[in-house]
Order: sequence, then C-alpha cells, then structure tokens
Amino acid sequence: MTAMTATAVKATPDAAQPPFRRWSVLPGFGPALGFTLAYLSLIVLIPLAALFLKAAQMDWASIWGVLANPRVFAAFRLTFLASAIAAAINCIFGLVIAWLLVRYRFWGRRIVDALVDLPFALPTAVAGVSLSALMAKNGWVGSFFAPLGIDIAYAPPGIVVALIFVGLPFVVRTVQPVLQDFEPELEEAAATLGADRWVTFIRITLPALAPAMLTGFALAFARAIGEYGSVIFIAGNRPGLTEIVPLLIVIKLEEFDYRGAAVIAVASLLISFALLIMINILQRRLGRHHDRG
Amino acid sequence: MTIEVRNVCKSFGAYQALDNVSLTVADGELMALLGPSGSGKTTLLRIIAGLDQPDSGEVLIHGQDLSKQAVRDRRVGFVFQHYSLFKNMSVFENVAFGLRVRPRQQRPSDAEIKRRVDELLGLVQLDPFAARYPAQLSGGQRQRVALARALAIEPKVLLLDEPFGALDARVRKELRRWVRKLHKEINVTSVFVTHDQEEALELADRIAIMNLGEIEQVATPSEAYDRPATQFVSEFLGFANRLTCHVENGIARFGDFSLPTEFDNYAGDAVAYVRPHEIGLNRANGHDIARATIDSIVALGPTARVDLAYGEQRLEVLVDRERLTELGLVVGDPCAITITRAHVFRGT
Amino acid sequence: MDRRDRPALRDPRWARGAIFVGGIGFLVLFVVLPLATVAVEAFAKGFELYLHALNDPDTISAIQMTLTVAAIAVPLNCIFGVAAAWAFGKFEFRGKTILLSLIDLPFSVSPVIAGMVFLLVFGLQGWFGGWLREHHIKIVFALPGLVLATIFVTLPFVARELIPLMQEQGTEEEEAARMLGAGGFRIFWSITLPNIKWALLYGVLLCNARAMGEFGAVSVVSGHIRGLTNTLPLQVDILYNEYNMVAAFATASLLAGLALITLAAKSFLEWRYADQLALTRR
Repeated sequence: MTAMTATAVKATPDAAQPPFRRWSVLPGFGPALGFTLAYLSLIVLIPLAALFLKAAQMDWASIWGVLANPRVFAAFRLTFLASAIAAAINCIFGLVIAWLLVRYRFWGRRIVDALVDLPFALPTAVAGVSLSALMAKNGWVGSFFAPLGIDIAYAPPGIVVALIFVGLPFVVRTVQPVLQDFEPELEEAAATLGADRWVTFIRITLPALAPAMLTGFALAFARAIGEYGSVIFIAGNRPGLTEIVPLLIVIKLEEFDYRGAAVIAVASLLISFALLIMINILQRRLGRHHDRG
Repeated sequence: MTIEVRNVCKSFGAYQALDNVSLTVADGELMALLGPSGSGKTTLLRIIAGLDQPDSGEVLIHGQDLSKQAVRDRRVGFVFQHYSLFKNMSVFENVAFGLRVRPRQQRPSDAEIKRRVDELLGLVQLDPFAARYPAQLSGGQRQRVALARALAIEPKVLLLDEPFGALDARVRKELRRWVRKLHKEINVTSVFVTHDQEEALELADRIAIMNLGEIEQVATPSEAYDRPATQFVSEFLGFANRLTCHVENGIARFGDFSLPTEFDNYAGDAVAYVRPHEIGLNRANGHDIARATIDSIVALGPTARVDLAYGEQRLEVLVDRERLTELGLVVGDPCAITITRAHVFRGT
Repeated sequence: MDRRDRPALRDPRWARGAIFVGGIGFLVLFVVLPLATVAVEAFAKGFELYLHALNDPDTISAIQMTLTVAAIAVPLNCIFGVAAAWAFGKFEFRGKTILLSLIDLPFSVSPVIAGMVFLLVFGLQGWFGGWLREHHIKIVFALPGLVLATIFVTLPFVARELIPLMQEQGTEEEEAARMLGAGGFRIFWSITLPNIKWALLYGVLLCNARAMGEFGAVSVVSGHIRGLTNTLPLQVDILYNEYNMVAAFATASLLAGLALITLAAKSFLEWRYADQLALTRR
C-alpha cells in the first residue's frame, strides 16, 4: 500500500508548483543534460567569461584609451559599414536567387541550389585567396575595373566582396522556405483586383517576405562582422584604411596586448548583439500581422 | 451580364479535369457548380476567372471573348476558398486595394475611395472593423471582407470558390441567407462552387451538377431533384433507392410489379431510382403485388425512416409517423409496398 | 497544381530574364569564378608542379594535422549533439529556451574571438598559464589548442540538426520500448538512432567541413609553427604570403575539393531523405 502511494506521488507531481522538469518514463535525462551543460560550459561559456573578465579588469579610462584610438575607430567603422553593405546586397540578390529557385524550373536548378551553399562549405582561407586573385588588377574580374580606376582587391570594395561571399547563403536559405509556402492565391487575388505583377510584388509578396529577408540580413551581417579568413587576404590590411576589427584583435594578440584585444573583442560583441536585438525588434513589428494570420 | 462557356477542355498532365464543358449563366443569375471533389468544378470557375487557361474552348462574358485577356483586365470578382486576405493590410485597405491599384487616370480620389469602401463595409455589415487586421477577425467576418473586396472593383461577374467551406455549420447557415439577400440587392451575375448540396439547393437559381469533368445536368433545384437527368444526379442529389429492373415494351418490371416508362423502343436491363417518400406502405393482406419485411424503424421527428427487406434488396422508406401508428406496423412485420414514381435509366 | 500553369502568377518576360541573368550572374561571379580561380591557379604551371607542390613535407604534415584535429573535434561534437538532443528533444524542463540559444552562441562569435578566449585561459598570461608551464603541458600553440578552438566554432552543427528533429519525433516510440522493458541504451540504439541517422550524418558532414576548413580560430591559437601546428588552411595562408601561388592554390584545391564533396553529399542527403531533413534545413 505504501509502495503504491509512493509511485502515485512520483507520477503526478504537484500541479500548483511546476517541477523543474515534466516527469517522463525515459531514462538518461540527468546524464544527458549534465554532459551537455558541462561541455558547453567548458568549451564556450567559461572561456567567453574569461574574455569579459579580462576586459572588466580595466578601468574606464584605459578602456576608453583603447577604443578612442583613430585606428581602432576606423576599423570599427569599416567593419560595420562593409558588413551592412554586403548584407544589404545579399538581401537583394538573395531574394532574386530564392525567387529563381522557387518560382522557375530550368535545367541545372539542382546544381544552382547546391552551389548556393558553397560559402558554408568552402574554407574561408580558400575563398580569401581565390577572391583576391579574381579581383586583383590582373585578375579575371579586377582587370575589368582597373582601367576605370576602380580597385577592388586591397581596397574597401574587396572587403565588401569577401563579405558578400560569406553571407550569400543566409538570405537565400531564409527566404526560400517562406516563398515556397507563400499562398499563390494571394497573388491571384491581387490580379483579379486589377493589380499588375509589379504592384502585386511590392504590396503583397514583398511585405510577406520582409521578415525572412530581415532574418537573413541579420545572420549575414552578424557573420560578416566576425569574418576574418576571407577578408584578410583581399583587404590589403592597411592600418586605418582597410583593417577590420578581427584583424585588429589578432594584431593586439600578436603584440601580447591581451587586454587591448579583450576590450576590442568585447566592444565588437556588444555592438553586434545590440544591433541584432534591434533587428529582431524591427522584424517583430514587420511580421506582427503575419504571425497571427 | 451573361457568362458563356463554350466547349472548354482542360487537362493537367494525364488527368482530364474538364471534358468539353459548355454552360450559360443568365444575367443576374446565381448559379451553383455542384459536384464531388475532383469533378472539375473549381477548375471551371478558375477558367471563367482567367486564373487557369483552358486547353481549348472559350469563355464569353457579356458576349465578349476573354480568352486573350489577362486576369487583371477582366474585372471578375473572385472570392477564394480560404479568403486570401492581405494579412499586412487593414480591412479598409483590403477592400480599397482594387481601387488603389487602378491606373492613375481611372483611379478615384482618396475621398471617393473612402466613400466607396465605407459603403461596401456597410453593405457587408463590417463598418466597425475597418481598422482591424484580417488576423483579428472571425472566419465569417473574413469571408465578408473577401466579398466586399471583390465587389469593390464593380465586377462584371462574381465568382465564389467554396465560399462557406471553411466555416462552421452555424455560421455557414447564417451567411448563406445573408448572401442570398445580398445577391438580390446587388443583382450581379454570380457563380459559386460547392460540394454541399444543401447549400446549392438553398442558394442557387440554377445548379450545374458536375462529375468527372463533365456537366451532368443544369436545372433549377427542384427540377434537378424531381427529374434527375442521369444516374449520377439521382445518386448524388438527395437519397434514392436503387433498384435493378427489366424494360420491355415501355414497361419496367421489378419482379412482382411494373411501372410505365418513357422507353418505347428499348428492351433490356435498366436501373430505377426511387426516392424514399415515393414508396407507399400498407399492411399486408394476402392479395398484395409486392411484399416486404420491416427491418427497422427510426423515428426522425414527424417522419420515420423504415428499412425494408424486399427480396434481395434493401429499401429505405419515409412515412409520417402518424400514418405508421395508424397502420400499426412494427419491426418484423410483413408489409405491402407500392412505388408511386421511379426514374429509370438504361443499363446497369 | 503547378504554379507555372497559373497565368496570374506568370512574371513578365523581361522580369524573368532579369531574375535569371541577375541570379545566375551573381552566383557565377561570387561562387563559380572563385572556384574556377582555385583550379586554374593550382594548375597554372602544369599538373606535375601541382603534384610537386602537394608533395611538400610541410603540406603533408598540415594534412595530417587537419585530419587529426577533425578526428578529435567531430566525434566529440557528435556525442555532444546527441546528448543535447536527447535532453532537449525528449524532455520538457524549465530554462530550455535559454539553454537552446546558448548552443547557437558560437555562431555569433567571431572565430578570432573563439581562438582568443583559449589564449586568455591557457596562454602564458592566462588563468592556467603559470600552472601549465610548471607542469610542461602545452595547450595553446599546440594540438590541444587547435582542437579546442575547432570544437568551439563547430559545436552547434550536430546539435542544431538533431534537436528540432527529435522534438518533432516526440517520445511515443521510446516510451513504447520502455514499456516493453528496454533499457536506456537499448532504446537509443534500436529506436532513436535509426530515426535520426540521416540528420546525424548531415550534421556530421557540415561539422566536418567547417572543422577542416576553420581558419580564424585556429590561426590565433596555432602560433604558426611550420610542420608542427599548421593545418591546411593555415598552410594556404603561409604559402600565399610567400607568393608561392601554385603551392598555395594547390593546397587550397584540396580544401575546395573537400567543400565540393561535402556539397554533393549534402545535396544527395537532402534529395534522398528530404522528409527527415526538412525540419532542419536552413
């Protein structure tokens, strides 16, 4: 009788006070969650905490001293600006490619679809060396721009090119499923009401895709801010001109200025998190009528 | 304005959705396309709207061939099954959409647009909801917004695809009456698709009954029920007992009894459809022509459904319960039956 | 019904042309041409020099180093991914959402920062720097550092494929097995694993590609010691900076080949097991 009661109590936890976890017959929750948390802490959380602690050891004056440096400021401006431009270009062409893959049928569509993921699979160093060879004055693409006096490689446009490459799949992959599921009847309804394709796209289709595009933009932007491998080969890395934030961190580390590196790293992380939160809020406002429909 | 569909064929791959379909809808008429799923009714509606291209044949609205005209130039009001309201626009903007997208020269002024939209929202009784978004409306309200939006372009014809399909039974009934009233008021030639025969019988001036890509019969509701043109219509519309018989010299014989038919020159097997209320029931008295046994009696309000075993066949009969009490019949009793009317078709 | 048969959805001819040219052109410029460049530059001086460039002892040791790092990092992240998916996919508990977002954290941290945090912990000036030196244990500028940095950047890959899938699949099958008396490992081997194997393979594939190709994070912790702590991507960097183009691109071509094989395998999995992967496809 007592044994029965004990089981019953275990099977129906007190409803008034929610338990840490819902009861389940499956074993292994403790070890699995324990291992997950330990692994995550050792690899990610504790080392990241070390970074923030390192930066926190400094007083405000010395933190300001590191960040107010014109070279550091220039690197931040370049990194965020180039990342935003690259993500914006990816936003437009990502939509075009997603449209192409979802709406049209053509020979080789599967190959095109697979190629979109190449930037995820190709090591960034390889992308860096090949893009700089491609965009250099004597490269296949660079040689078209050189006579016009436009340098791509070893100049800011080169950085944008590399960041476009690494961010390319994000918008395509976020917009594609939304476009796939987009009710064709909505566009047909617009057509029966007299709208042409362009008006339908601007007023009906684009607003529905906008939240996904913004998600893709945010992902591409976040990736671009941290990008190192593909950029340093093509950037030229001239202090104050074509030096990006991750490179600046590496330079500080090579000079054994770990504190300076930590300050720059924390600042960069905080700014990008803040921007991502802002994008998230904007996205919610854009999607508010869609979510509930 | 009239709608004329002439010899329209449409196939999707190997599947023949419409097979040489012709149909005329009179000016101001409310026509139902009724049929089971896969009968081609939605395809026909979409072809009239220009949302699908027929493989051959033509569609004329008010005598004008529209085959070559783009959807957006046709001025056809279309209400989609799931309403397809623009989620990012308020109710007002949804209704105003068709006016706002007109070319600049034909576009009404903002004040005129507001007046017209308000008028339409009044017509569909949604004035207080103008500022709401579709996600904030009930199914019935969305349906009415979709209707107002389609009416805003002053369509030549109004087409509705399963207009009540996504609503629950009570709202459906309410909305049906309201649509009937609205149609009387605005009197625009309308076609709606439905698989619900009750809906078609209640709403439509005439019904086109479709099956397997063909139109089986076009008739008023009572005509279609009383004089079904084909076996399919007899079986699809309401319930009918199906009896096999043999026709000779214009007489159909059902084993024990016979009925006159219109087939003067046909001899062979045939199928007869008999409505449950077209079978008479009496106490067996020894001189009956046809005799059956009562299997079960189910009371349905003022009438009762009596299931009979008649030889190998089963028959369903509807009788007044009062009459049943008068006769004093109970389950297991033998009884005499008479068939007052049957629709006989050749073949089996 | 196919979208293309609907006249109201047909884009005007000029738009179709512009989208086709714009989309394909963009991909050619940013994806196909860089790939072609790798191949052309690698074979610029002929096939023999290509082979010769690869037959360099430093390059061979870089290949070994890359394989070693991946051989340690990928299985560890695989175990992590399965454990995390078991905990997050099969159980409901408080704080789940926050923990889930922490798993994705490495994706939003710059690889350079990912490498640098290990310098701060294990480097000479780091928390354990002094203790490690006293005991003659090398972590940064050595294999363990490379492995740690690689694990950091590739940590989410397997977990993020498995968690949504296992959440979607629910617990009914496992519970049924439990009722029939199966033990934990038995349940996992006979019920769960067969249900997730293709998604697991997919995650491993992506994890491996990134592990072998990672540059920024390992660059910070490697110390660039030739023949000792160089991985293939770092070797590309060194050769490129020495203006040894053929060797740099020959080495790069190995990595590009790996990327193409990964893409082909990934596309095959997506095509063959679309239903199982649909949930996780980004």
